[in-house]
Amino acid sequence: MSPRLEGRGISVRFGGLLALDRVDLEVADGAILGLIGPNGAGKTTCFGVLSGLVRPQSGQVLMDGHDVTGASPQRRARAGLARTFQRLEVFSGLTVREHLVVAYRSRGRNVATRIALDCLGAGRRPFSGEDEAIETILDRLGLTKLAAAPAGALPLGTGRLVELGRALATRPRVLLLDEPSSGLDADETAALTELLRSLQAELDLSLVLVEHNVDMVLGLAHRVTVLDFGQVIADGTPAEVRASEAVQTAYLGAAP
Amino acid sequence: MTTYLVTGLVVGSVYAIATLGIVLTYSSTRVFNFAQGAIAFALAITFYELTVDHGWNPRWAAAVTVLVVSPLLGLVLWAILFRRLADAPSSVRLVSTIGLWVALPPLTGLIFGRDERFAAPSAVFDPPHQYEVMGVGVDSNDVAVIVVAAVAALLLTVLLRATPFGLSVRATVDAPSMAATVGVNTSIVSAGSWMISTTLAGLAGVLLGTQRGFTLPQFTLLILGCFAAVVIARMHSLPLAFAGSLGLGVVQELSKSVVVGDFLDQFFERQSVWIRGLPQIIPFTVMLIFLLAYRGLGQERFSTDTRRADDAPTVEDLDGPPLAWWRRLLPVAVVVVCVLAAPLVLSGLWEGIAAKGLALAIVFLSYTLVAGSGGMLSLCQISFAGIAAAITADLATNHGVAIVVAIPIAALVVVPIGLLAAIPSLRVGDLYLALATLALAVLVDNTYFELPSVNNFDQGVDVPRPEGFGDDLPFYYLLVACFLVVALLVRNVRRSTTGLELDAMRSSEQAVATIGVGIVRSKLVVFGLSAFVAGVGGALFATYSGRASPEQYSVLLGVVWLAVVVTWGVRSIVGALLAGLSFAVFPQLASEHLTGAWLELPTVLFGLGAIGLAREPRGVVHQIVHGRRTQERARRQRARLRATPSPVPAGVEGGGA
Repeated sequence: MSPRLEGRGISVRFGGLLALDRVDLEVADGAILGLIGPNGAGKTTCFGVLSGLVRPQSGQVLMDGHDVTGASPQRRARAGLARTFQRLEVFSGLTVREHLVVAYRSRGRNVATRIALDCLGAGRRPFSGEDEAIETILDRLGLTKLAAAPAGALPLGTGRLVELGRALATRPRVLLLDEPSSGLDADETAALTELLRSLQAELDLSLVLVEHNVDMVLGLAHRVTVLDFGQVIADGTPAEVRASEAVQTAYLGAAP
Repeated sequence: MTTYLVTGLVVGSVYAIATLGIVLTYSSTRVFNFAQGAIAFALAITFYELTVDHGWNPRWAAAVTVLVVSPLLGLVLWAILFRRLADAPSSVRLVSTIGLWVALPPLTGLIFGRDERFAAPSAVFDPPHQYEVMGVGVDSNDVAVIVVAAVAALLLTVLLRATPFGLSVRATVDAPSMAATVGVNTSIVSAGSWMISTTLAGLAGVLLGTQRGFTLPQFTLLILGCFAAVVIARMHSLPLAFAGSLGLGVVQELSKSVVVGDFLDQFFERQSVWIRGLPQIIPFTVMLIFLLAYRGLGQERFSTDTRRADDAPTVEDLDGPPLAWWRRLLPVAVVVVCVLAAPLVLSGLWEGIAAKGLALAIVFLSYTLVAGSGGMLSLCQISFAGIAAAITADLATNHGVAIVVAIPIAALVVVPIGLLAAIPSLRVGDLYLALATLALAVLVDNTYFELPSVNNFDQGVDVPRPEGFGDDLPFYYLLVACFLVVALLVRNVRRSTTGLELDAMRSSEQAVATIGVGIVRSKLVVFGLSAFVAGVGGALFATYSGRASPEQYSVLLGVVWLAVVVTWGVRSIVGALLAGLSFAVFPQLASEHLTGAWLELPTVLFGLGAIGLAREPRGVVHQIVHGRRTQERARRQRARLRATPSPVPAGVEGGGA
């Protein structure tokens, strides 16, 4: 069976800089993949390519074995791909709940029907199952009390949860998380780790994590891919990666 | 042919001088100066007054205007306006200089009077020497203009490349906050850029005035040419701006030549609008072509790190706690009661004025959709209104279609045109959209509106009122009903899923894309709807007036419309209503109580209102409803939310593996 999400030989060039150099990675069903590497290694660019915001110069992105390299971010989202952003991308004018509503409704009803309903004033009514689904997500993330708060005014850590909630509301099968723990303290990080683990199991998600917090990734991920200067320098189980000499060199400078 | 080449180079040189100023200030402060032509006009008039009315030596007058008055004007404008724009939302940055564009020419009239101005003595050679180059007579003043432009471009390039000031400007362009932390005084950089830019505007103004006369249309043409050159320069390249300006000038002048005329005669009727309007059409056709051709422009949106640090959250996010229901509904109730009761107290004349205002208010609701919800600054809503009015008139008068049927048909016909106008917006940012829609409006103005069947010798075509609504009173209430229906439609759309998506899109198009919302689709929907609404409003306006005459739908009037709407509040339905009413009422008040140049006072006020957005981006209505104290509360709430620790997710122990 083909993996849920797969990148084959992805290369991205920004001007003279080779941001990604023939990168391969794959995420199996229900697996957690950690993507780590020093600053500027190309992790966020890699997410850009996987989610369709950055077009690679060469290489392929596949979802369930289907080539989606040329597909728009929207089509990938409808096929079950969701993501969060390293630099917060919340909708500052919307409330927390509205974030989830927009995301939830992005799948459903054809356009013509919807425009007609919108003009007639029926566009406000929730879709079937919407309210329960959203209440559940809010509850799981501990955002119920903040549901009516404008998202633009929230602190960074809460903003990350809102982004996570928004991604979950699209009912994804693959979820890309870009540095979910940055801006959180140790306790919050631990809680988040547990949350991700349980969500992954419950919702049968495949998770890809970009993280600076190496301990968190090694503790959570089933497999880890390490990038440095746009190239994959290691790929394996957390234990293998921890032992890899190449990884230690990349993170700590010259090998001891 | 060669003669046109020379005049083309002269016109192009003047474009180049003004364009360099726009490029400089856009690069260094991210504010696109729509008012460059208006500033050039004001300064040209200053020069004219100094020479002709005060008898100064023209060279002295030119020197004082360009080297003293211009930079001073730049400094003053920077202090009262441009300085505030650095932290403003991008929509406000666009709108405030549009306000300046609206306010400055009538202000100039207020200060110097509105007399006819004829030719002024040349600022350089008087009388000019005549030369003969390749069989063409060239005048020393022509040469002077070209030389001045080249020198200005050269000096500016040296200034930016080889001086400490230039280094600071370039640093500020890349990262304003970073430049500030390493000790660049960003105030000096931005004040300096604006002063240089207005100096260039002054230079262009004096040269254009002495060459072509001191009339506003000349200067409008100047600014339109400059915008095209700025697009060719991709907003930042000085050499491309210079070359583009010269090229445009030459092409524009060549289009007037006999050879081109004869060539075009093979395809069009002699004297057809396509040939007469050519000089006006060219800059904007060129601009549209370049907007669509520059592939890089659209990708800025999705590249990972082009969001600038100065796009940080602004006042817009401070919505504050929701108001109590009665405080939200009270202003609406007051306005509705006033509008319904108005005919009881108003005289016949004022009832008509109010009806006119209501028709306009319907057009203005289209801004509430496209700019308020969609976040897209469209300058061609007036073209949609005008086209629909013309089609309505044609259907009703020439084809005997009942007016109540003709209006919806006309509004529907405008929808595809609106979708066409939206195409640039799908690929490029909001500034480019504003320019592209302006281009479209100029095209419509100079082609469709000039067609004999539409224009009808400047008379327009008659539009009958619907049966039973011939008198002003029933027609007034018909307009009230139409406004309410359209307002309801706008409100429904804003509160629907589409409205929510549009609100989200204004914050982050990237995030919207990754949750599967079609950006293209949503923008097309809102643009198409807004074209429909503008069409209905425009047709009703023509029905009120009794005829659809294109002069009531000219581009520049559209710019004033935008200024009025944003002043009252582009997100507010009540704002659109008040904008429509004030656009009808103020000029009437002015004509009853004021004379001469003061007749233009309402336009000045509308322009100043838009400029004032730099202080309160959400417009007058928002300020009235929410008040200052609410904004304070919002700020406090925001601080409190920031202070709360992020919630520890629930269900951590319970669920899962």
